[in-house]
This record gives sequence, C-alpha cells and structure tokens, in this order.
Amino acid sequence: MSLPRRQFLTQASAGLAGTLLAGLLGSAPGCVPARSAVRGQVRGAGAKLGHLLREPHKIPSPTRTEEIDVVIIGGGVSGLAARRELHRLVPTLRTLLLELEPEVGGNAATGHNARTAYPWGAHYLPLPDERDHDLLAFLKEAKIITGYGPDNLPIYDETALCHDPAERLLLHGHWQPGLVPEAGVPAADRAEIARFLAEVERLRHATGPDGRDLFRLPLDLSFTDAATQQLDQQSMADWLAAHGYRSEYLRWYLDYSYRDDFGVPAAQVSAWAGLHYFAARKGRAHNAPADAVLTWPTGNHHLAEALRHLGGPGRIQLHTVVFGLQEVADGHLEVLAFDDRTQQSTRIRTQQVVLATPWHVSKHLLPTSAAAPALAPLHAPWLVANLVVDDYPGGPGQPLCWDNVRYGSPALGYIDAEHQALRGFEPDGGRSLTFYWALPTDLANPAAARRHAFASTYHDWLTLVLTELDLMHPGLADRVQAAELWVWGHGMVAPTPGYVWGAARQQARQPHLGGRVHLAHTDLSGVSVFEEAFHQGLRAARAVAQRAAAS
Amino acid sequence: MGEGSLLARRRRARAAASAPAEGAPRPALLLGSVAVIATCGLLYELIAGTLASYLLGDSVTQFSTVIGVYLFSMGVGSWLSRYLGGQLLRWFIRLEILVGLVGGASAPLLFGLFAHVGSFRVLLYGLVGLLGALVGLEIPLLLRILQGRLAFKELVARVFTFDYVGSLLAAVIFPLVLVPRLGLVRTALLFGALNVVVAGVSLLSFDETKPYRRRYLGAIVLALLALGAGVVGAERIQRYAEGEVFQDTVIYAQSTPYQRLVLTGNHRGELRLFLNGNLQFSSADEYRYHEALVHPAMQDRPRARQILVLGGGDGLAVRELLKYPQVQRIRLIDLDPAMTKLFKSNQLLRELNHNSLHSPKVDIHNADAYAWLRQDTTRYDVVLVDFPDPGNYSIGKLYTTAFYQTLRQRLRPGGLVVVQATSPYIARRAYWCVVHTMAASGFSPVPYHAYVPSFGEWGYVLAQAQPGTWRPDGGPLPAGLRYATPKVIGQMRAFPPDMGEVPTEVNQLNNQALVRYFEEEWGPYGNG
Repeated sequence: MSLPRRQFLTQASAGLAGTLLAGLLGSAPGCVPARSAVRGQVRGAGAKLGHLLREPHKIPSPTRTEEIDVVIIGGGVSGLAARRELHRLVPTLRTLLLELEPEVGGNAATGHNARTAYPWGAHYLPLPDERDHDLLAFLKEAKIITGYGPDNLPIYDETALCHDPAERLLLHGHWQPGLVPEAGVPAADRAEIARFLAEVERLRHATGPDGRDLFRLPLDLSFTDAATQQLDQQSMADWLAAHGYRSEYLRWYLDYSYRDDFGVPAAQVSAWAGLHYFAARKGRAHNAPADAVLTWPTGNHHLAEALRHLGGPGRIQLHTVVFGLQEVADGHLEVLAFDDRTQQSTRIRTQQVVLATPWHVSKHLLPTSAAAPALAPLHAPWLVANLVVDDYPGGPGQPLCWDNVRYGSPALGYIDAEHQALRGFEPDGGRSLTFYWALPTDLANPAAARRHAFASTYHDWLTLVLTELDLMHPGLADRVQAAELWVWGHGMVAPTPGYVWGAARQQARQPHLGGRVHLAHTDLSGVSVFEEAFHQGLRAARAVAQRAAAS
Repeated sequence: MGEGSLLARRRRARAAASAPAEGAPRPALLLGSVAVIATCGLLYELIAGTLASYLLGDSVTQFSTVIGVYLFSMGVGSWLSRYLGGQLLRWFIRLEILVGLVGGASAPLLFGLFAHVGSFRVLLYGLVGLLGALVGLEIPLLLRILQGRLAFKELVARVFTFDYVGSLLAAVIFPLVLVPRLGLVRTALLFGALNVVVAGVSLLSFDETKPYRRRYLGAIVLALLALGAGVVGAERIQRYAEGEVFQDTVIYAQSTPYQRLVLTGNHRGELRLFLNGNLQFSSADEYRYHEALVHPAMQDRPRARQILVLGGGDGLAVRELLKYPQVQRIRLIDLDPAMTKLFKSNQLLRELNHNSLHSPKVDIHNADAYAWLRQDTTRYDVVLVDFPDPGNYSIGKLYTTAFYQTLRQRLRPGGLVVVQATSPYIARRAYWCVVHTMAASGFSPVPYHAYVPSFGEWGYVLAQAQPGTWRPDGGPLPAGLRYATPKVIGQMRAFPPDMGEVPTEVNQLNNQALVRYFEEEWGPYGNG
C-alpha cells in the first residue's frame, strides 16, 4: 500500500486534543475503513459510575450502617498491596476494600477471547531490584520466584519470564530484533544511541555522597539534592538538546519508551524521570539476563490476583463508589459508599482509611481547604485494542515476537497475547494481538483529549487501529475477526517537569483527617509502574499498622 | 555440462540463415531487440535444462538432451523462415508475442503438469522443440528485415555481436541473480514479458504497422496481463509443484491443520514419510532409529509398565514397546489426528507398525504434548519423547528446562526419559545443548547415538530422574531385533571426537538457545 506514514505521523503528533481524531481518521490517505463484519465493542473504566462523584445529590442517602477496622478505597495495585501488607502485619485487623469496577486490579485489567486471555492495561514487570526485599518476598510468596541460586540471586519461574524472541522493530521495511533502532541506521546515529545508553549505564551505578543510588525504584529511595531538583524542572527533550543528542532515531526511541511507560513523549517528561526510566532498572536474576521482564497471558492482573489472594479474608466489595469521607465526633471516620448493584448506600464507621484512588478521585473525598496540595497529575488517555486475526503476523526479517513495534509510528505497537502460551505447536496461523496506543494529550488541556476520546465511536477507534495494523502488516487488516477496544480516560500519571520532586507531591502524601487517612497511589509517585504502586500500598499499610498499634 | 561447444554450434546454425532483402528503418532499435531476444532465447533453454534436472535428476543427461533438442529445433525454425513472406515486420511482431507466451509459460507448465501427465518427457521435449523452432525463426527474420539498411558484412557483424552479448548476459545473470532471487517460474514469466515488450516497441516504432496497430496492441496487452497474472501466482505454482516433487511416487498426500503429510513409495518397496517436506522415516532403515529410541531404556527398566510416548504418531516406537509383555499401558500423545488415523488405517503402514496402534494396551490422545502434560496426573516408568527437531520457536519450547521440569514430575521414582535430540554430527552444539538442558532440569542424562543411513548419525538422550547407572546389559532384549544388542547398546555411548561434548547454553523459554544453535548448524544443509 502507499505509505502515508509521514503525513500520518505529522497529523498524529499535531493532533492536539481538538484535532486528534479528525487528524488521525478524517483525511489520512490509505486509511483502512473499519469493516462492518468485525465483531466487538468499546469499553472503558467505569467512568459513568465514577462521575457520580461530581453529582453527589443523585446518590441515595445511606440506609444502613456498618463498622470495620480499616477501609481501603480503591482496588488497584496500591490498594491490594496495602490490603496484603495489613494482613501480614496485623492479621486481626478487619479490612474492607471498596472498588468501583466489577473487578479488582485497576490498570492491571484482563479479558479473554476464544483463543486466549489477554491484558487490558499494565502487562509486564521488569526484573525487580534485588535489594527490593519487600517486592521479592511478595514474588516468592506468589511463587513467581521459585528459589534462590548459589549466587543469592532469585530464580524466577521460567514460564513467567518473557519467552524468546521478545522484541522486534519494523524499520526500513524490515523487522529487526530488539527495539533500539540498528538495521540500516547511519553510523553517526548509532554512535549517538550508544553514547546515550552508556550515559544511562553510568547513571545506573551512580550514587550520591551518602551512598544512596541517584536513581532507584521506588523513586523515593533515590538520592536527592539541588541537582535533582534542577533535572526535574527541565524537560527530557531540553536535556537531550543541551547534551547534544540530535539523532532522529534516538529521539524516536526515547519518545516511544516514554509514551509506553508514561503516556507522553520526551518533551512532556521531566529529565529526571526520563533518566530514571533507564537508570533505575537494576534487576538481576539467577536464571535470566538483567533486561528480562516477567509477563503473563493476563498481564499484570496475574500480580493483582496474587495480591488479592494473599490479602487475607477481608471482604472486597465491587461496583461500589465512595461518595463521602469525614471525621465524626468520637474520633472515628465515616465512609459513605453506594453499591451500584443494590442501588443502596451504606455508612461505614471505621478507625482508619487507605485512600488508594487516583488524585482526581481522592481530592473530591478529602476536605477542601486553602492549604490543599496543588497536585495536578497529567493522565494521558489510552486506547487498548484486543484483536483476533486469522493470519500469522509475519513479515520480512525477525519472526513474530512478544512486543512488535513500528518505527516512526504514533502508536506503541502490539504484543502477541499468545506469546507465553505453553504449547509446542501453533494450532493455526491466527493470533490474538493487544494493541497499545497512548493518545496525544495537551498539557494545557488534558480534559479535552479525554472528552474526545470518549466521544469517539467504536468505528472511529477501529479505523485507527486497522490503519496502524495495515502499516505494520499490509493486508492483515482484512483478516481481523474480532476487535475489543478499551479506552482509558485516565491512563496513568506522567512525570511532567517538576512533578516528582515538586512540593505538591510531598504535601499530598501526608496523612489527612487527623492522621487517619493514608494515601496510596502512583499519582503520589509520578511514575505509574507496578513497583511504585506496590510500595505506595506498603507505605500506607505500615502507617495504618503503626497507628493501630499505638492506640 | 558441455554447454560451450553446443552453444557454438547453435551460433553456426543461426549464421547459416540469411535471406532476401526488404527495407526497414531504425536498425539501432532492431539491433537492440536482437540483444533482448538473444538473452530471452538462451534463458528459455537454461530454464528448461535446469527444470528437467530438478524433476528428472541426472543433470548431464537432461542438459544435453534439452540443449540438443532446442538447437535442432532452432535449425528447423531457421529453415521454415524461408516460407515467411510479405510483411516481415508483422511476422516479427507476431513471432515475439508467441515466443513471449510460450517461453513465459514454459516453466509454470512444466512444474505444474509434472505430477499429472503420463509421460513428462513428451511434454518437455515437445515444449522445448516448439520454443526452439520459434526462437530459430527470430534471427533469420531480423536479418531479412535489416538487409536493405546495411551492407551485408556490417549486418552480419552487428547482428551477431548483439546476439552474443545478449547470450553472455543471460548466461551470467541466470545462475547468479535470477535463480536465487526469482526462481525458475518467475524468471520464465519475466523474460516472456520482455519478448512481448520487444513486440510492443517494434509495433509502436514503425509507421508501416499503423493499419494493424490497434489490434496487435490489444493482443500485446492481453499477453502481458496473462504473464503478469502468472508472476502473481508464481509463488503458489512453485510451492504446489515442488510439494509434488519427490524422488519416489507420491502414494498419499494430505494437508492437515498442523502439517503436510506426504507418503512416497518406490519400486524397491521402500516407504518414506515426509512431514512438511522433511523426511521422518524410510521403511528401509527406520528399525534402526526406533530400536535405538526404545530398547536402551526398556532393557534398563525391565519392570516398566506405564509408558508415555510424546509424538511418534506413526506407531513405530509403540511397535517396539509392544515387544515387552510386561508393559501394561502405552499412552501416545500426538498432535495430529490425521497422522494417527493414517497409521491406523493404511494397509501398508499397518504392516510396517505391526498394527501397533490397534493394540488394546495403547490409548491415543490427539493433543499438544505440553498442554497435555501440564494437566496430566498419571506417573510413568518410561517416557519416550519423539518430537520434530527444534526448527522453530514453538517446537523449541518442547526442549526447555521448563518443559523437562514438567516432564520430570510425571515420572515414577526411578523412571526415565529418552529424547530424540537431532544429529550430534551435523548439529553438535544443538545436541549437547539438549543434554545440558536436561541436566539443568534435574535429570542425570546419558548421551548416546546410533547410525541411521537415511539420517546419518542420530543423537538421543536417556535421562534418569534420580542419579543412577545405565546398564547396557540390564535386562533381556526381545527376540528378533535387527539392530540393538547389548553390545551395540554399550557402544552407543561412545562419542568420537568429532561429535564430542562442547560447552553450550542451557535452553530456556526466555533464551531459546537451542533454536539458534539448530538454525546455525542445520542452515547450511537447507534443512530444518
């Protein structure tokens, strides 16, 4: 087919909120019209129920009262990690977890079709830092670490390590192994890429005067000083320009990496976070190289499910929106919750609360005051598409891998959802593919991108995905049998300049309502990865346990 | 192949042909056409010769006869050219269209009809003769067209210079570029189209063609479309045709959702099974392969009752297992129902496997071995693993530590596993990688090998769940074996230096080291 890539790209990157879909869909030549034969629907996180928060008068008043030791609001990874940690520390505490969605897991959502289970969001965990004993202990308990080698490094369940071949990049019409552009890349560009990778490798081992790593996960363990602040204020794009990194190939690779983890490109990421992305990866294993990742057919829902399973007998109530949180006279807290299935509201009296919701929810529940933290996390909208194709997505060069990316694409490529299948033969040429697309968003008006995202129809999104698929595999768009789509209005937090080491984040992390409400969410880290969410939950749970022990 | 002298004779045949004059403009254009048609003419000859060698074997004979028939037919064509009169240019254009169509269709026709015509040689030489006669007409006709425009000595000098230049070009690009890049079918179609283009250029360059230009242009466009359609379909033609090209007669062929099964036979009564074009066994020597797979393990475990066979839907390993009366149950897991059905139903194959798949001791499950093993709860005394070679990432998963650990849990205390592990002679690192992978999975592996003429040196790994010794004289061997004896089994463990142990990585799901070794080592053999 003709190659509308350049025009397509221009339109995509120029696609500020208002022109996003018009630009991507309306006039791109070579657009593949969505076929009416393709089955599927568009879903999304429970925005309708969640948005009830904006109109509390529509919610019926509580008709019953309940009492519990600790209420955890939000069943994403932070909330589930807090629940498990509380169960470990104080098994006698009675907990209740309230979740808006029909399932726990948050971004680590999963679904399935006739072929396979597939992820709807977060779907892998890089090998954790071997010093992260809390995380390693959890992975051991979840049987993802099966033991330790003679070198004291963890042995990971081989079936959970991303199978080989892991990654390929469509570059210059040919699939090369690995995502760092190499094949046919001019020597000057390759030298620049090598220089950048050497620099982040140096930073990976760099420590501050007190011996702490400059870059560490969870990020609050990193060494900080004035230089950290300065790096954090600067955008990664500016840092790259200031350090003489001009290679288009390098810039694309970095933009791709940041869009994949943060939802936004280098221009919208702080330089500190941009370097942290590479320099904080220090995982090691006895049975895998340092750059290995853990992944499952259900994505990180596997981890969420393990956290839930190890979280004790505390009740989990789904389909429930919390619309009130206040201190009552006797030093207790009162949580008002509306159950969408029974259409009834409950007043829950409790000692302490873990508020494990994104900031745009938390700030509605916390008391408004002039001193409220000025935290304004940017969440890019995301599109995830799970497609079933009845033909093998091959192409010239490296065969199908776990992660398959097109150089220059505004999307993030797809993963083979069947990659981790334990079988020795492929039953047929077909495949289930999971497409990821962090939609361009405008720092000044992120809500506009979200509104457009929600206003677009199944047909609009499908056209977008099929056009991209056709650029990766000409003709494959005709072989799509089913396409399930998920639009995340608030995908994940982006570490924009000043966010991670600014005052607002530190302030927002403090306990609220007399030290009884503990916040736990990656919005309070600035980097939305499993490790951060896990430690957010641990931090909150430990604060709860400490206070419970004191009282 | 003696082409030099034959080609020289062909030139003399052309030189002998020259004929009366007729005026024609633009000698340069027509001389350019000489180079093109000379290239095409030699290519058709080379294609026919190569194709005949592919399909019939014995390349010296095929090339000699094809070139001989072609040159003789060119002489016939030259002689016939005297009967062409009137508008010579019009004849030339007709001729080029015809040469393009016949030459272009030659390779697809020969490939496609090979398996379907009674006498392939009649088709081959008929087509070569027709093509030769048509090509033989070309140069005499051109000489006559150019005759009035140039002095005779100039004419002969120039025409033959271009003719030989075109031939040299064809002879060089055919083996170096065309065959490796395009293949025979597409090369023929492409050069057929070039002949038609020569017709088109001649048609449009000369005023005298005006009266019939429109009609001929239509014919040229149709011819080009037909050849273009052939190029598009060339992949299928070639795949289809080569799928039918086996040394012996194809007795049975079936495409299943999993593979293509082809069974061939020959006058010696030898059956061969090919899966996706790879030889699985020859009835002449499969007993060596299967005796070496089964008996070293079974004579070491004389009390083995529960046996699992993974792969091996041909029932030949089961045939050997059934020679042990103490065996109570043999569970066979083979992916492809068509495979087990074929070996249960076909008379020749039932004779070969002694009807083993109908034994009441055997239960057959058609399932993916890995998926089956993960849900299986039975424990076995002996497991025979007879998978295809690890030629791709999917099959590679069946040779990993993860798989072997799953397998190990299915063994009874004291149980053992035997794995076929490709050739330690050709794929030395691949073979030792399997040995090391089994060791890393908690087994005590014992490497051994056997010589199977159809395959060459073949490697196996016998692996015990608990450390122990393997005794080649452990128990009695069944009567009537043709290969395995206690002494031969003892010798199987000796590896000469050229197949000796080499350090390798351990094959894991996350590195697929084995597939890489296998590809590197088998790559030069064009197998896999």
